[in-house]
Amino acid sequence: MDERDIRLRNLTYGLFVRLGRAPTAAEVAGELGRSRVEVLEAWRRLHDAHALVLELGGDSIRMANPFSAVPTAYRVDADGRWWYANCAWDAFGICAALGADGRIECSCPDCGAPVAVQVRDERPDEDGLVFHTLVPARRWWDDIVFT
Amino acid sequence: MNLFRSGEHVDRWLGGRPSGATVPVGKLCELAFAWWSDRVEPEWRPHTREQNQAILDRLGLTGDFWRLA
Repeated sequence: MDERDIRLRNLTYGLFVRLGRAPTAAEVAGELGRSRVEVLEAWRRLHDAHALVLELGGDSIRMANPFSAVPTAYRVDADGRWWYANCAWDAFGICAALGADGRIECSCPDCGAPVAVQVRDERPDEDGLVFHTLVPARRWWDDIVFT
Repeated sequence: MNLFRSGEHVDRWLGGRPSGATVPVGKLCELAFAWWSDRVEPEWRPHTREQNQAILDRLGLTGDFWRLA
């Protein structure tokens, strides 16, 4: 990641928050005054550096962690919008990234019961819930969608 | 990386598969704020692996499972 790619990454994230969804390459290109092809090339380098995750075709964003560009089981109401998170960790991460209180909604993977957590002042209002991850840290990026 | 109603629900969901790591939701929230808070800052800079490992270590997420490399 060089300085130009970091700048493009930061603008991509800024647009994600402003739009409430993943920006297209054309939208990022328009903001930066660069071509769509240049944006796609930079996105691919950022994907390889784990700074964002592209869809398989490589021309649209799947994850701008902690945000998901596609619907998931983890929904977060924060800063006046509903967002999708990639996982439970990222759901809290959306509140963190936005610097906002929020409400996380999902369901227990075991029993399917609805689960809702309020985050206020960086703390959850539920104590009994637990987070579980199957994948050891060194393998998180082997298959980030599964992780 | 899922959220469960309790450790019993994790065990039942695993159904005998090897467990990974289970963390109380309060600790998860601390981790999220330490890990993601700068993510949409206009001047965000990449974290090094050492910085990320230090976050895990500081929160007591230690041992081989939590080693990033």
